[in-house]
Amino acid sequence: MRLLVAEDEPTLAAQLREALAAAGHAVDVADNGRDALFLGEEEPYDAVVLDLGLPQMDGLSVLRRWRAAGHTMPVLILTARDAWHEKVAGIDAGADDYLTKPFHLEELLARVRALLRRAAGQASAELVCGPLVLDTRSARVSVDGRPLALTGHEFRVLAYLMHRPGRIVSRSELTEHIYAQDFDRDSNTIEVFIGRLRKKLPPGCIETVRGLGYRLVCPP
Amino acid sequence: MNGGAPSGGWRGSLRQRLLIGTLVWIVGSIAAAGWGLADLFGQHLARQFHAELLAHLDQLTAALAFDGEGSPTLAGPLSDPRLQRPYGGLYWQVERLDGATAPLRSRSLWDTVLALPPDSPADGEVHSHRIDGPEGEPLRAIERVVRPEERPGQAWRLVVAADEGLLSVPLQRFNTQLLLALGILAAGLIAAAVVQVRIGLQPLARLRHGLTQVREGSALAITERFPSEIQPLVDEFNGVLARNAEMLARARTQAGNLAHAVKTPLAVLANAAAREDGVLARLVREQVATAHIQVDHHLARARAAAAVRAPGLRSPLRPAIAGLLRVMERVHAERGLDLVLAACPADAAFRGEEQDLQEMLGNLIDNACKWAHRRVEITVEGDGDHWRITIDDDGPGLPEAAREAVFDRGVRADERTPGSGLGLSIVRELAQLYGGRIELQASPAGGLRAVLVLPAA
Repeated sequence: MRLLVAEDEPTLAAQLREALAAAGHAVDVADNGRDALFLGEEEPYDAVVLDLGLPQMDGLSVLRRWRAAGHTMPVLILTARDAWHEKVAGIDAGADDYLTKPFHLEELLARVRALLRRAAGQASAELVCGPLVLDTRSARVSVDGRPLALTGHEFRVLAYLMHRPGRIVSRSELTEHIYAQDFDRDSNTIEVFIGRLRKKLPPGCIETVRGLGYRLVCPP
Repeated sequence: MNGGAPSGGWRGSLRQRLLIGTLVWIVGSIAAAGWGLADLFGQHLARQFHAELLAHLDQLTAALAFDGEGSPTLAGPLSDPRLQRPYGGLYWQVERLDGATAPLRSRSLWDTVLALPPDSPADGEVHSHRIDGPEGEPLRAIERVVRPEERPGQAWRLVVAADEGLLSVPLQRFNTQLLLALGILAAGLIAAAVVQVRIGLQPLARLRHGLTQVREGSALAITERFPSEIQPLVDEFNGVLARNAEMLARARTQAGNLAHAVKTPLAVLANAAAREDGVLARLVREQVATAHIQVDHHLARARAAAAVRAPGLRSPLRPAIAGLLRVMERVHAERGLDLVLAACPADAAFRGEEQDLQEMLGNLIDNACKWAHRRVEITVEGDGDHWRITIDDDGPGLPEAAREAVFDRGVRADERTPGSGLGLSIVRELAQLYGGRIELQASPAGGLRAVLVLPAA
């Protein structure tokens, strides 16, 4: 999944990026409100972690602008004040959840997982597709109970598909959601990842729909 | 005497001050006017009286003649009928200055003679005397001495007198009427002054009402318009209120900024330490947790302490609860909780700061949502002085023995749930600062019931 972290404190931003990347996400970081606003409007993020105390433009204003422009990605706000009026204001501005600083990184990861699941309409922390099981908490995939060794990019491609079983996902959509912004993108590499995944997964799991993209097929 | 006390005599009361001043002025000026008018009228009457007597004297002088024997007689009768009526009140008399012959008198004198004091006026000069009349009544008499051409060498004293009662009766009548009229005037003026003072001081009563409303928290400022003498005072007062509110808001913002400034590095430290397992990392984790609790505690205290002293605060309950329920619905969306505001009067408002209200309700509702299985129900009811907010959940509840302990700072019923463990202790502290209270009971719904009682605005 592709995430945006808007946090101005560089160390905390780095910690968040690292933890989210370790959980299998492609992460962009914005260290001020204007950049966050721009990135959120331009890039198709699957979720955003938004600090309310951003320089240049505060988090609430950024969030309101996104929502006014029709961007519906789930947003988790970070607040230092631990004041309810701020939480109310955040939720009313369109946030989906809040977390008070200081927080445990595990807590943040759990909230982000829940938001992604909710956005994809999945209720469980484990995504199941036939013999395939993806545990969003541990970022591990298993086939018939046997753990599968995947690289970061392979995992992201598979996770994106598993959040949308049965749906056709285009190559460019995959590209947008598995790479961070500053990454040198090459849509041809998607084919490479799909090819490698097909070798590791049971045959017939990933279908190619000619001219449109890929589809994850879950046998009943 | 205490000058500041409202009942401290006339100095203490504007109303009495104004009334006494007006009263003294009205009575003084009316008395002076009455005395002046009576005197003026008296003088006028006296002058008229004198002029009348003089006219009669002139008539008498003109009519005076002498018969063949040299006795005085009148050429014709004098016009006034009172001169013909015995003791008619108007008299004349002609006598020789040396008293050689009996005096000639008006018929009205009947058988009496006017006893005139000896006098030696110059010829033609008019003199005035007060003498006794035929019935002993006081008379005003004027006299003139003439020497007739027919009788040179003889001096005749011509006297005209009139009852002074003729003067005093109308004067008395005038004075009585004057007194009555002035009395009515004075009464009217005093009544008008009382009404005027009452009307004039009415804005003060309204001002007091406005101030009471501000003190009781049902108004944020005095919004009514007042007369130009009082309005500056009201404006100043409103200015002080606004400044207070502004200072409060600034203090809050600064506290929030401080929290932000401190907590972000705390978060960084805690996250860094979470990945290590040494002695130092453990120490950092512990100390970060302590610092977190301390910062939260003191922030909450500072905020509340500032708010309780500020007058004129009023925070409606319904929107505060509705806002918090929106948060809970969003945050706990997956659990499908039923969050119900079962009853809340539309006018229910807390006499205190809105953020503090949200803080108390937020912690309680959040707690209920954390533990509830399916349903959280909130009820607000009031007895006029207080609002009683009941929050029920159908969760596992809390054994009676543990209910007091959760109010202690840093104690959490569940160590796994994130949070500083300050929630309930902050709620209790805030509630007590505002003169309210918080109790935990067993809920009829099966879980915990939190009852928050807050002063009404």
